[in-house]
Amino acid sequence: MNNNNISQCIDMNSKYCPCLLAAANNCIFCSHLKGEVICDCNWSGRCILYEQHWQYKKQDGDESQTLRTEEEVEFIIKERFGENTLILEWNVSPQLAAELTRIGSFVFLRQPSDPHYFYFPVNIMSIQGNTIQVAIETIGPKSKRIVEGNNNKLLIRGPYYNGVLGAPWIDNITDGNIILVAGGIGQAPGFPLVSKLMRSGNKVTALLAPGKVGQIFIAKPLEELGVTVHQVSSLRQFGMTMLREWLALTPDLIVSAGPDEQHYGVIAAMQGARVNIPMAATNNARMCCGEGICGSCLKKTRDHKMIRMCKQQTDFSSIIED
Amino acid sequence: MIKVVVVGGGWAGCAAALAAAKAGAQVLLLERTDLLLGTGLVGGIFRNNGRYTGAEEAIAMGGGDLFVAMDSNRRHKNINFPGHNHASLYDVVTMEPIIKKLLEGYGIQVEKKQRVVHVQKYGKKIQGVFVDGGDEIRGDVFVDATGTAGPMGNCLTYGNGCAMCIMRCPSFGPRVSLTGKAQVKEIMGLKADGSFGAMSGSCKISKDSLSKELKIKLEKDGVVILPVPERLQKTGSLGKKACTQYAIADYAANLVLLDTGHAKLMTSYFPLEDLRTIPGLEQARYEDPYAGGIGNSMRYLGMAPCDNALKVDTMENLFCCGEKSAILVGHTEAILTGLLAGNNAVRYCLDMKYLELPRTLATGDFIAFVHEQMQSEAGLRMRYTLSGALYFEHMKAMSLYSTNPAEIKHRVKNAGLSDIYNVCLV
Repeated sequence: MNNNNISQCIDMNSKYCPCLLAAANNCIFCSHLKGEVICDCNWSGRCILYEQHWQYKKQDGDESQTLRTEEEVEFIIKERFGENTLILEWNVSPQLAAELTRIGSFVFLRQPSDPHYFYFPVNIMSIQGNTIQVAIETIGPKSKRIVEGNNNKLLIRGPYYNGVLGAPWIDNITDGNIILVAGGIGQAPGFPLVSKLMRSGNKVTALLAPGKVGQIFIAKPLEELGVTVHQVSSLRQFGMTMLREWLALTPDLIVSAGPDEQHYGVIAAMQGARVNIPMAATNNARMCCGEGICGSCLKKTRDHKMIRMCKQQTDFSSIIED
Repeated sequence: MIKVVVVGGGWAGCAAALAAAKAGAQVLLLERTDLLLGTGLVGGIFRNNGRYTGAEEAIAMGGGDLFVAMDSNRRHKNINFPGHNHASLYDVVTMEPIIKKLLEGYGIQVEKKQRVVHVQKYGKKIQGVFVDGGDEIRGDVFVDATGTAGPMGNCLTYGNGCAMCIMRCPSFGPRVSLTGKAQVKEIMGLKADGSFGAMSGSCKISKDSLSKELKIKLEKDGVVILPVPERLQKTGSLGKKACTQYAIADYAANLVLLDTGHAKLMTSYFPLEDLRTIPGLEQARYEDPYAGGIGNSMRYLGMAPCDNALKVDTMENLFCCGEKSAILVGHTEAILTGLLAGNNAVRYCLDMKYLELPRTLATGDFIAFVHEQMQSEAGLRMRYTLSGALYFEHMKAMSLYSTNPAEIKHRVKNAGLSDIYNVCLV
């Protein structure tokens, strides 16, 4: 099946499709479900209009649409780096745990007593059995609330899947040579991507930097997976030169886990090395609802489309810089 | 060498590929599924009424290969059923491999499971088509034979939902219109009530599920007519049918079964439990569409605006045939338009004047007549075929209907078109 098909909406072919957007006649994919008169989709593997049709029937029988679930959990602070960076750990239901193993998975978090608009998104760093670890920086109005007043309870909502742009590359590549560039808090979402790549028989070389977090915290677990790890104190000063040299050997894929500035740096390094290889990049868009409804994550692409970063896949390089 | 790419391997696409190969081009035929013939896999009826004239014209013009193949693989010849005379029925079960072999014999490259999803357009020309998976296939000229039926979302919106018909969209992915992807605004047919589309007009019952007596009679006579109990008659459904030649009152009062290998039931759909109340059909079950008790495929959604040479309007190197080219019904009609489109595709590459069939021939008159009718909304509510309804009446009025091969051959000769499809143009 065509990668382009898979990449149009991350929720396609999942139990969360058709979603609230389809119900509102704003489906990203299905022409009928955005008000056009004839079928003009490029085939997701099943007919979204049909799924919507069966869903309406289901609703008559009092069963509602499949929506993301919320779970209340108790968490512990597993590790603390610097002033603001925390690694949190908690257990979820086996069902949610299974759903969060997909690459690019993320959840929304808030303190149970806070209003719902305190929900903020965070990528999954690791998942073992039903135990989940995430890394957060407690610097914004939402994230700070998590640990205020000795709180140890969380509401989590999930699963969401569009945490990495270029997810099909990571899902489909085998026996390739891959470079990971990860800096700061981006180390957290970078880790599960590399785990997946190593499971598919790829060779990964990692370039890690402490960033604003001030610490490299995935070097050891990556080495245990068999990744060749290079640590630098600053990507900007030392990392990018190194990266340009590696790029000259034309790897099969480059994965950038970190802030958008880092993604742009990687693109500049590729241009500098005169290579054009596939790139997967962590999705740093600001999100509030995760369902395509609120519009906070809308971005414009170079082909003049508005895309919802919480659901839609695209090449990071096609997004117009804010 | 001139490269012609035909998209869609139904009867129309097969005919276009054949005509282009005969005219001397290198031909690639792309088919979405794993079988050629498209809805012709459910068809089977030919040479009935004016289709006899059409078939003989194609033979006289040198494009008769497909009709000869059908004649050689027919189960019944010269049968009559309500409104239809001298019909032949080809065996839908064994027809496909014969046609594939015939096309390959002409050096045509037949590629199945190659679904075209997009076009590369430059100005008014198509440079290439993209197949699912991302490969680009280039060509000098393209023929859109993608039909107008499906995908399943259309069947849901305009019909009774996916009935799991021979199109097999869930398995092979939806049909994509070349013309639509080239950003040409398409025409949509209307039902009598003004809503879009029309439902395919027949389904197939497994012959083994008929009663023994009925099966024997059907295989002997080729046709069986069963009266429908009055409480089950539904005249309202006739206007929704694609095949107007069978949308006559006789078909509401009777069930017509034809022996095309399966038992072809001449109605769009018929609830199974009702069907089983009719003597002889107590154990009946559908063969195709599998949910023949519920519905059937929806068609005439997205026809290409084109001239009588079958060149798509506003495009330079795109031709169309079959249902894509007009609201026409039947594989005889598909083949006649396919031959013309394939021949004209080669003429485009050679900068030759396009072939347009004169109105002294049934085929030429048919194409021109349907295109005239399609100018009006009332015309879009009709379907056109050589075998019945409005056009057959017109055909008889114009004295174009003939079952005399010698006479038809003479007409073609007078038009200066004898063996025209056999001429290598390159």
